[in-house]
Amino acid sequence: MGKNVNLTCKVANLIFKNPVLTASGTFGYGVEYEKHLDLNKLGGFVVKGLSIKERSGNNPPRIVETPCGMLNAIGLQNIGVDRFLKEKLPKIAKFNTHIIANIYGTQIDEFLELAEKLNNAERISAIEVNVSCPNVRVGGMLFGKDPNMVFKLTSAIKKVSDKPIIIKLTPNVSDIVSIAKAAESAGADAVSLINTIAGMVIDVKSKKPVLFNKIGGLSGPAIYPVGVKMVYEVYHAVKIPVIGVGGIYSADIALQYMIAGAMLVEVGTANFVQPNITIEIIKGMEEYAKREGISNISDIIGSCCK
Amino acid sequence: MQLQIVSNKQVSKDTYLIKIDNPEVFDAYPGQFVMVRVNNYNYPLLRRPFSIYNLSNTIDLLYRKVGEGTSMLSLKKPGDSIDILGPLGNGFKIKSDKKLILIGGGIGIAPLCFLKKKIDERKMNCETYFGFNSKDEICVDYGNIATIDGSFGYKGNVVDMAIDKIEENSLIYACGPTIMLKKLALLCHEKKCNMEVSLESRMACGMGVCLGCAVETKNGMSLVCSDGPVFDYKDILWEKM
Repeated sequence: MGKNVNLTCKVANLIFKNPVLTASGTFGYGVEYEKHLDLNKLGGFVVKGLSIKERSGNNPPRIVETPCGMLNAIGLQNIGVDRFLKEKLPKIAKFNTHIIANIYGTQIDEFLELAEKLNNAERISAIEVNVSCPNVRVGGMLFGKDPNMVFKLTSAIKKVSDKPIIIKLTPNVSDIVSIAKAAESAGADAVSLINTIAGMVIDVKSKKPVLFNKIGGLSGPAIYPVGVKMVYEVYHAVKIPVIGVGGIYSADIALQYMIAGAMLVEVGTANFVQPNITIEIIKGMEEYAKREGISNISDIIGSCCK
Repeated sequence: MQLQIVSNKQVSKDTYLIKIDNPEVFDAYPGQFVMVRVNNYNYPLLRRPFSIYNLSNTIDLLYRKVGEGTSMLSLKKPGDSIDILGPLGNGFKIKSDKKLILIGGGIGIAPLCFLKKKIDERKMNCETYFGFNSKDEICVDYGNIATIDGSFGYKGNVVDMAIDKIEENSLIYACGPTIMLKKLALLCHEKKCNMEVSLESRMACGMGVCLGCAVETKNGMSLVCSDGPVFDYKDILWEKM
């Protein structure tokens, strides 16, 4: 005890002071959380998915709670990339942490335009490409379900962007490994998984789905074993770093992801319940490392398989 | 923040009043709300939004037992601790040049009772109209009461009871079921008076991040939690509600 634990992790050319990031769509543009935690303490944060044009999102109802989880169909409501760069980025630029932009397009050209616009933003450390949102009618998951499309999209983005590219994968496929491999062979710097699991909740009285969009994405503690399993599988199949996402609400779950093979983790829905949960998770990781006599947290990555 | 429960009692049919120890730092306006974490486990996962019913040396919340979360909350005992996030959102604005009328339906009376207290403190006048389904649901001991079944007070809905009192110079503060608010919106339009409404919605975070509590307004999608929960009724697209 008392010995300092090295929590740093490296993805592409980026050093993260610790492996804990926040997941896109659960942390706004960062500014919303300023009064709840010290953003400087995070490994990084991923901002709400950005599109070329502002999107108003789906009609309500947009969320419904499920046992230990929630189903959402927000529909990527966001202010658009230009307003983000002009209005939000200057407010978060001062924080000493990695800011990762998450992008969404309905066709390849839109993804490329987004990547180009973000390429000039110095404070954006990396781009996470959403090929996996279940709540939009065009693009979205269509890209993420087809290895050829993922390959095509990833290669195209790599050509226009100097930033590390992270491809965010959907679990709603028969073989996530083949999609991860497609991203890797196209030059992706990392893959993050999993996005939400598609689901539906029905109101038995009206006999209609509760969500206006009918289908939503399931997140929260209920889904973490699915994410851990997929990270484990993908870790074995690719050489690029894997970022674990899905249901992380404690240091224990974050560590499970890392032991399964995740280099970094993204905390999502738990931010809604406890705004400073990421700080608790970082503390918990450090305590675990001390307790277990681990001096570099990165030593545990993929240790489940050894 | 973790706070201690002082009392948690049933006050009428399915309706409970919980009083939570108020640290000195906590101040709020009528119409603001708090997000309550019912327990520290993952079930129920999300916090529940509750309007502030009263604020003194305790934070008082009036709630109706409607689902599993509120059922669990109703079992909490004095001395138990509870996690509160807030105060959140934008409250009612008290204006002195208007005839103030408070209209609440069911559990929607909660923020209006806090508003009434603040109006009284300013030595201003207001009229209060509260509607319930039946006598056993009544959880307030003042105001003009309407019950749908006629078991107490005016028989019928609260809007019909208040209709003759609403004038062009009225400012209505309302909270209650959507159907009641829609009816009031139509009435305000006809009588050319103003109204501030407190809306309810499913929400996950309460702080403008999850975007779950969207409501369609003249200005596009607004969020009940951070743009509201109190809105000028003219901004709401009532036909979409």
